[in-house]
Amino acid sequence: MKALEFRRNVPRFAAARLAGSLTPGRGASVGPLRLADLEPPTAPGPDWVRVRPRLSGICGSDLATIDGRSARYFEPLVSFPFVPGHEVVGDLDDGTRMVLEPVLGCVSRNLAPTCDPCSAGHLGNCEHTTFGDLEPGIQTGSCHDTGGGWATAFSAHPSQLHPVDDSFSDESAVMVEPTACAVHAAILAGVPDGAVVTVLGAGTLGLLTIAALRTFANPRTIVATARYPSQRRLAAELGADLVVEPDDVRRAVRRATGSRAVSLAVDDGAVDRLSGGTDVVVDCVGSSASLTDALAITRPRGRIVLVGMPASVSLELTPLWHREIELVGAYTYGTETLPDGSTARTFDLAAGLVRAADLGRLVSATYPLHRYRDALEHAAAAGRRGAVKVAFDLRDEKEREALMEMSK
Amino acid sequence: MSNGHLAPRPGFVLDVDRTSPPIVFHHGEGFRLEKLPADRTRVIYPAEPLEGLTDPDGAIRSALLNPLGDSEPLPALLRPGMKLTIAFDDISLPLPPMRRPDIRQRVIEAVLDLAAEAGVDDVHLIAALAIHRRMTEDELRHAVGDRVYDAFAPSGRLYNHDAEDPDGMVVLGQTPHGEDVQFSRRAAESDLVVYVNINLVAMDGGHKSTATGLSGYTGLRHHHNVHTMLNSRSFMDRENSALHASNWRMGKVLRDADVKIFQIETTVNNNTFGREGPLSMLQKREWEWSPKDRAGFLTMQQGLKLMPAKAKRKAFSSWLAPYELTSVQAGEVEAVHEVTTANVYRQQLVPVEGQTDVLTMGLPYICPYNVNSIMNPILVMCLGLGYFFNLYRGKPLVREGGVLIMGHPTPWEFHPVHHPSYIDFFEQVLADTTDPAEIEKKWEKQFAEDEWYIHLYRTSYAYHGAHPFYMWYWGAHALQHLGRVIVVGGDTAAVRRMGFQPASTLQDALEMATDVVGPQPTITHLKNPPILMADVT
Amino acid sequence: MNHVRLQVAKARARVARLGFPLRAAPVPNGVEPPPPMRHTGTDFETDWARSQPARVARLALVEGVMRPVMSVVASPAVKGLDRLDRLDGLDGLDGPVIFAANHHSHVDTPLMLTTVPEPWRHRLVVGAAADYFFRTRIGGSIAALAMGAIPIERTKVGRQSATLATDLIGDGWSLLIFPEGGRSPDGWGQPFRGGAAYLAIRCDVPVVPVHLQGTGRILRKGKKLPQPSRTTVTFGDPLLPGEDENSRTFAARLEAAVAALADEATSDWWQARVRAHAGTSPDLTGPDIGAWRRVWALGDRDRRARRNKRHWPEL
Repeated sequence: MKALEFRRNVPRFAAARLAGSLTPGRGASVGPLRLADLEPPTAPGPDWVRVRPRLSGICGSDLATIDGRSARYFEPLVSFPFVPGHEVVGDLDDGTRMVLEPVLGCVSRNLAPTCDPCSAGHLGNCEHTTFGDLEPGIQTGSCHDTGGGWATAFSAHPSQLHPVDDSFSDESAVMVEPTACAVHAAILAGVPDGAVVTVLGAGTLGLLTIAALRTFANPRTIVATARYPSQRRLAAELGADLVVEPDDVRRAVRRATGSRAVSLAVDDGAVDRLSGGTDVVVDCVGSSASLTDALAITRPRGRIVLVGMPASVSLELTPLWHREIELVGAYTYGTETLPDGSTARTFDLAAGLVRAADLGRLVSATYPLHRYRDALEHAAAAGRRGAVKVAFDLRDEKEREALMEMSK
Repeated sequence: MSNGHLAPRPGFVLDVDRTSPPIVFHHGEGFRLEKLPADRTRVIYPAEPLEGLTDPDGAIRSALLNPLGDSEPLPALLRPGMKLTIAFDDISLPLPPMRRPDIRQRVIEAVLDLAAEAGVDDVHLIAALAIHRRMTEDELRHAVGDRVYDAFAPSGRLYNHDAEDPDGMVVLGQTPHGEDVQFSRRAAESDLVVYVNINLVAMDGGHKSTATGLSGYTGLRHHHNVHTMLNSRSFMDRENSALHASNWRMGKVLRDADVKIFQIETTVNNNTFGREGPLSMLQKREWEWSPKDRAGFLTMQQGLKLMPAKAKRKAFSSWLAPYELTSVQAGEVEAVHEVTTANVYRQQLVPVEGQTDVLTMGLPYICPYNVNSIMNPILVMCLGLGYFFNLYRGKPLVREGGVLIMGHPTPWEFHPVHHPSYIDFFEQVLADTTDPAEIEKKWEKQFAEDEWYIHLYRTSYAYHGAHPFYMWYWGAHALQHLGRVIVVGGDTAAVRRMGFQPASTLQDALEMATDVVGPQPTITHLKNPPILMADVT
Repeated sequence: MNHVRLQVAKARARVARLGFPLRAAPVPNGVEPPPPMRHTGTDFETDWARSQPARVARLALVEGVMRPVMSVVASPAVKGLDRLDRLDGLDGLDGPVIFAANHHSHVDTPLMLTTVPEPWRHRLVVGAAADYFFRTRIGGSIAALAMGAIPIERTKVGRQSATLATDLIGDGWSLLIFPEGGRSPDGWGQPFRGGAAYLAIRCDVPVVPVHLQGTGRILRKGKKLPQPSRTTVTFGDPLLPGEDENSRTFAARLEAAVAALADEATSDWWQARVRAHAGTSPDLTGPDIGAWRRVWALGDRDRRARRNKRHWPEL
């Protein structure tokens, strides 16, 4: 079975970090990731089934791992060697098309009773991702036992699988997982009606968050930052009212909210921070710069939702303290409580949004597994190269048929 | 050679042939020498500077004592116990700023001397800047002189007009067209308003001085808009300008509201760079340059190459023009303005026959809104497509659907204190659309009412939030008329943002123009500055 | 000592015994001797001081010595220079002009020599009291060289000095005159005499009134050491004598002009104009009251020197 395997290899990890800091995505060439021919995965438990991926997306967190940028925080939460890939649409052996909900919660770990978050349906918050029948791993794609989407096959627990309607293209289906993240963030943001929301970053998550905010909240204005023209166009298409360069976000938010600017020098026209500001910021970048911007433009008692994976940042927190700003993280999904009090699986909401907003079009490029270096470099430079989501296309891998034969 | 003994020669049209020298184009804080295609290009040269009045102060005094129209002499209008307001043109005039003593100082001192003689105590002086930025102390001192400044500013009787002061503005009525006439309350409540004007181009003066200069957004929006701009052919020609028609209607409302205005208008010659001195070659015809002029020009070019942009800006903005007063007239607004316009035309009008396919121009480092500041891309657009394009009477120099080629470095750079709303206009509004009508509809109101801009306009030195819009509308007629606009030597991204095409050389630009107007197009070059106005028949 | 005195007395006695031609012949009785050739006072010959070498030397003195000294002791603020442009409309910008200033102090002349603008400064002579500056030949030579002084009578313009001044103006020289005829004894001005007005009428040249403020604090009459203080030099609008004006009325107009400038220097231009038109400019010569009350009253109109001492300790 062909797979991209990520091994524990400290020197290569260091090399990836160096290469990745020079050219994002370059960590793939020198790092611990390699294209390997592995034994097909064995089911970790009795209920488990085999999935043969059709499309498997490359996520920002995958790129951070490959470029050696991910936080040490994750070390106990993964098990080496693992096969990355958690944005997957694939076939079961009986030919049913499924989308993977990759979180490995208590149920898939065969733990009973389940932890409180799992019981409440908040799979993403599972407290037991290092326990149970499986080796550690918060998701498929970071756990040794299950395999991952960047392979011709992996194992999945039935609780992780959502059947895909025939009317969905593979491209649409592979967008459901990232869209679910965005939907979760948009709902978690708790945007008051008629508020001004600012979305920082217009990568996949940023764009999807804009779409999700338009659907699951009722803001007056969405301000978005986008560095590249294609991102700007898409951000506006998906519902941003005002799309600006990242450097101009303070001015733009000031304009949109009618705030005054506070300048470090008296009235010199510079916009160092705002007197009021936006009600909610959804930060889909997660860097020191973006969080600093977020703190400068959030109104007193506003909220910053951190969607982009931050690693380690340095930040002046005085405004957070002085303006009593809330800073909340938004990781993944599970079950959402909608404004009307009803609950729904995030994945179902996401699937609806993908269909309504035709988000399948955001898949800009696909690569076969053996061109993984090109694929990862493309994904790392997606914005600059006019792309949004880059995915591996496994539909034409010869092995798919061979595996099918073997199983019969 | 021009000299004091010969009468100044009028402007003329040069037909370029193979023997014609390259022409000096102004190019921001620098110059370019451009060879224009032979046999199909003409260059319009401005007239030489008219002789200035030998006794300006005498002329001013005599104008005050012998007014035009149905006005009494100024001394007869002054009496003890009256409220007198003297309003004067702001930093946008003249361009570049003139050497001391500024004409405003001469006129204001003469007026005040008469007021002192008459025993007038309650005098206010107001810089009639409408929604322009406030003038700094230095700028006010330069305009009115130290004596007047020291006598009136410390006691708060000399100040900048504040169009956003809720207590300081009043709506005096409406014109038959439903236009609000908004006016400075102090001026409205005065027994006499004396307006001191410097008429640099034919657009200035008349009722526009007071109806615009002492007004605010509520009043300005009725004539500073896309509709009037599209119906002003050109706004430099009062008779054919909707902008002026509106101002004249407002002037009538002012008169009916018993606002008594004594208008003093002055004209200057076009002696921008001096008959002698380091820049004098810029107002000479290239073939009349002396060896000294040529050496000076080459040295200057080399020097400018070595200077950083900031130093260049500083050097150029320190230039004070040795303008000389060519006429002064005072009295009733319309009668005065009639004579003023004739005097402006006497210096600036150059007869030109027929239109061409392509109009070229080199834009200088200064326009009315970047004195002591930075000429940002919006101002480049406004100077080229607003001012220079409209410097015609009759019909535009370029045919409908023709191409305008202008040269300017067009830096993507803004003065953060003077032009905060411009930054947002450029980043947000122009990123959205460059169509003046759509911009007006969608964006103007929210910028005009933005509290921060208002705060900066009132307390700092910022142009009002609505001002960049007016800059863009100023080019509306040109945008509608032209098939394409090409900017030579500009910042590519900034030029594209404005919907224009960038070109690195004039040759490239002319090549690009053929896509629109066909091969071998006819070309007119507007030689500028000093300012000229084409009388196109 | 006594011995030496004795020897001198003896020598004198010997000389006294000598006769003509070893001695000058006495004037016979009944014969009127010719008047002695005077070389001081108004007879002091100053042509040489306007020769090229002397002018170069004066330039060096003015720029090299007076200007630095003045900037330290007088730190002058010069106002109203732009009014001199108005000469353009009267007489041409480079024609000769008479500058008429009030007079408090010996500092006034060097102050004027350093503040009168070009093109007048390099062809400027100063009317100086013949009985004071030109009393001795050495003193007169220094005054003529350093200041370009020419001897003028204090009280009236005599024929000799009038001819000299007229000739110089005819040659294009400008003239600086202090029409009060001397330095102020108590800080108040003195009435203007007719000299400047007379010359202006005679030569038909404009007079520029100038007001000097604060020089009295630096070196008042009777003081020996200068006390640094701020000064203001205010140039006024050039005046031309009217058709029917005589030197007395024109001098009065000049005095009023300087008084208005004084008013301008202590209040502001507008108030000064209002009062000038109303004829209520404060009098230069001060109230006609007792001496101490005059000094007392001076305090009201004389701006105190600004302190420029630091108020905090040097750290």
